[in-house]
Amino acid sequence: MALDYEVPQDKRVLYWLGDKLIDYSTPVSIVVVLVTLLFAYWGAQLHLVTSFSDLLPQDHEYIKIHNRFSASFGGANNIMIMLEVKDGTIFTPENLNKIWRMTQGLDKVYGVNHNQIDSIAHRTVRYLKVAAGGTMNAVPVMNGEVQTEDEANNIRRSVHNAENIYGLLVSLDDKAALIRANFIEGKLDYSRIFSEVNENAVDPFQDANTTIYVAGEPRLYGWVYQYTGDVFFILVVTWCIEWLLRWMYFHDWRGALRPTITGVIAAAWGFGFIHLIGLALDPLMLVMPFLITARAVSHAIQMHDRYYEEFEKSGWHKRRAIVASFAELFVPMLSGISTDAFGVLVILLVPVVMLQKLAITASWWILAITISEMLLNPIVYYYLKPPEPELVLMRERGGFRRGINRFVGALLTRTGMTVTIVAWVAATALAVYFVRDLTIGDPTSASPLLFLDSPYNISHKRIQDKFGGVEPLIVVAEGYDRDAMKEPKMLQRMEEFQRTLERDPAIGYSFSLADIIRAVNMVFHELEPKWGVIPNSWVDVGSLFFIYFSGSPPTETAKYVDPSYTTAHVTFYCKDHKGENIRRIIHRCKQFIYQSQTKDLGLTLQEQGGKVVIAAVANDVQWEKAGPSWVVSEHQTGETPFRVGDAITALGKNQVTDLESFKQAINKQTASKTLVDFALERGGTKVEETVVVPWKAAFKLAGGLIGTLAAANEELVKNDALMNFLGFFTMWMIMLFTYRSFAAGLYLLAPLALANIMVNAYMAVMGIGVNIHTLPLVTVGLGFGIDYGLYIVSRTIEEIRVRGDLRDSVREALETSGKAVTFTAVTMVISTVFWTTSNIRFNAEMGLLLAIWMAISYVGSQTLTPVLIVLLKPRFITREANRAPKLTTMHAKAVAR
Amino acid sequence: MESFHLGIWSSLIIVTAFSFLVIFLDGYVVKPWRERRWRRLAESGDKEAQELLRIAKSAKVSEE
Repeated sequence: MALDYEVPQDKRVLYWLGDKLIDYSTPVSIVVVLVTLLFAYWGAQLHLVTSFSDLLPQDHEYIKIHNRFSASFGGANNIMIMLEVKDGTIFTPENLNKIWRMTQGLDKVYGVNHNQIDSIAHRTVRYLKVAAGGTMNAVPVMNGEVQTEDEANNIRRSVHNAENIYGLLVSLDDKAALIRANFIEGKLDYSRIFSEVNENAVDPFQDANTTIYVAGEPRLYGWVYQYTGDVFFILVVTWCIEWLLRWMYFHDWRGALRPTITGVIAAAWGFGFIHLIGLALDPLMLVMPFLITARAVSHAIQMHDRYYEEFEKSGWHKRRAIVASFAELFVPMLSGISTDAFGVLVILLVPVVMLQKLAITASWWILAITISEMLLNPIVYYYLKPPEPELVLMRERGGFRRGINRFVGALLTRTGMTVTIVAWVAATALAVYFVRDLTIGDPTSASPLLFLDSPYNISHKRIQDKFGGVEPLIVVAEGYDRDAMKEPKMLQRMEEFQRTLERDPAIGYSFSLADIIRAVNMVFHELEPKWGVIPNSWVDVGSLFFIYFSGSPPTETAKYVDPSYTTAHVTFYCKDHKGENIRRIIHRCKQFIYQSQTKDLGLTLQEQGGKVVIAAVANDVQWEKAGPSWVVSEHQTGETPFRVGDAITALGKNQVTDLESFKQAINKQTASKTLVDFALERGGTKVEETVVVPWKAAFKLAGGLIGTLAAANEELVKNDALMNFLGFFTMWMIMLFTYRSFAAGLYLLAPLALANIMVNAYMAVMGIGVNIHTLPLVTVGLGFGIDYGLYIVSRTIEEIRVRGDLRDSVREALETSGKAVTFTAVTMVISTVFWTTSNIRFNAEMGLLLAIWMAISYVGSQTLTPVLIVLLKPRFITREANRAPKLTTMHAKAVAR
Repeated sequence: MESFHLGIWSSLIIVTAFSFLVIFLDGYVVKPWRERRWRRLAESGDKEAQELLRIAKSAKVSEE
């Protein structure tokens, strides 16, 4: 049917498009159904997978170090199993045999790194045994199951004398033993690891006297996978409640069905696309599909509401009502979808693969709503029977509509507007006060993914309490040459590093080669405590290492030092992974490295007038010329490449402007070579001095769980503010094109910005940190609130063209579009708030957080935006007054009524 | 929560069955009841109900 009736001139193309979609309903439907089936087929092949490497910012220097050394020195994926006895000690044949079998069982779990298991029952954990004739061997603590009490007592004695075991793998009260295993990153099948650990190392060994606790990242994700079944419960409950609500709202089952079609099609396209780009579903991101589907449903509700309205306006003409609702809502709906889709894309900025894939997926999924809602909408309505006129009429006189009308009436009075402004100012001031406590990273020591009383967090806390710290921070000492780790000064520096960092309250204990060499030296000298030191000679150190490591294959010793003794590590076991603690520990590590470097160079540096100036040169560091370079001399030479008052302007090609840039420059320059070119300013002239740094190895941050979390947190800090800015800027740009006004975006974004501050304040108060999991959800929430305002503003413009009066137009917009927005917000808040029933604390908190976010955005769009429009009379709305195209008979009747 | 063990298929069956239940209730229970209610109101002299029913009766629905 041609458009043989009058339509607004400026939307004629949209009316034409809506009409043509109905004309070509059959081919369009077939294409959409076929494509949807294809996407659904791909979507059905999705699996729940968490790829650990995708969670890391791969370009970060810590992650590069982590990736290089995790295979030998240990990664971030450790499982800790603690066996604790109530009565007696672990040193009985029965308990030791349990530890033996548990260790053997753990060694058989899929993905375990067989050379990185620490347990008194594992072959790699050894102690020094002095045999008859004075020969010494490093032998495993246990060689098999224990038969007698005497054997158990011998093991106890060995453990008590081994500094690398007592307190680290056996508690100081002898009541608990720790088994620690590292898992290979490429083989992390969390569900399988969870069940195999239970079968092999937990369930068969628990009894009245023995409790077994399991913690560590693979276990944590294992628990998360165990709880993913919650999603079905939430799906069923929200589906049923949403259907009931929509049915009650529209007084018709078609009103319940129509948005479902949109949601299901968008979901099929979204899930299919996730599979298509090679991504899997992360159980911690399951809130996201719900949220996007809820958005699709909410657009459909707007459309359905408008369809009823146009059906009445058009004199019960179904086709005209379909075309009019399509054309009139086209602009706000497309703008809403675009802001959501492009707003999410800013997550691409964070260099974390998982987040980048998520940004692309979410963006596509949201864009798919244009097909499922906008393109298909006229066709679906065309196929469905129109609603009965009495139903439409009765609905307009229902309690919900009357309630909305009363609220709007009160809001647009002088008192109502004053209360609105005062309330928003007060709420914002309160939020700004609380938002200061928002943390990057985890704000608590327990895992935020699960509840505090979950079995995982109970186990984690118990192990932390018993052993002081189990979350590793690995600092690699990479030598410039082979045998660098046999250098006494290097070992002393590692020991000094340990003692310095151990002063931090968040560090439980630490371990390095220095601990081994001291223990071996003591055993070598008949356990005399005074020999528990690092020898002063390179030869002595080499001999002791030979004694300790000679009986072990390189695969076993590689976790301490590489076979050429070039590279080793200092591992700090931290008590928790709170964001603030990680930041402080990393800062202290950097500070120690900087201080030790300047001490070795004999320099005291300070910032002076925007330059780094040498404040003092130590007399105990002597230098001599070796060709064109300076090297540290063991003799008194009286020469030095540095003078007090010299300003360091560059190291190699790296400019030095302050102490921070000096720290970065010296680490960069000495990462793999010992020659450093110092560019100095001496008495107004430029001097260049080439120095051979006196240290044998460079400390490099950072691996282990704490190192990887530090990298992720640093990236989040770097990108969080930028993402927020770009998110808002993108939305503002879309508003600029939608309304051809610079101010339009400000009116619509104001409630969103305030909602953003309030949600961040809520996160701060509730102890929810910004981390790699919360960030994407919070960013998605950022854009979702704008739709509400868009529908109100667009309807206000539409009405002012006919009515001419601003306040009257705002009232009409709030009573019509505002009614649908209110219902949409209610249903969306309900569908997300049901996530609070999830056993996964993260999902529960994110569900509640997003529900609060949408609620605040909704309240803002229904109160602050209209009040600001009425008070400030923006030109992008008032310029449209009385500029409507000539009214058709149909419109005239509607206005008169 | 612990007692619920819903899988994908059982969830789909429940939501589909529920949707059909709503459609059935709408067509055979609630709509007829709502119409009876408005008629009763109109018969009892409610002006708004009478006006609504008059408009609804005179409405001619056009599909094209």
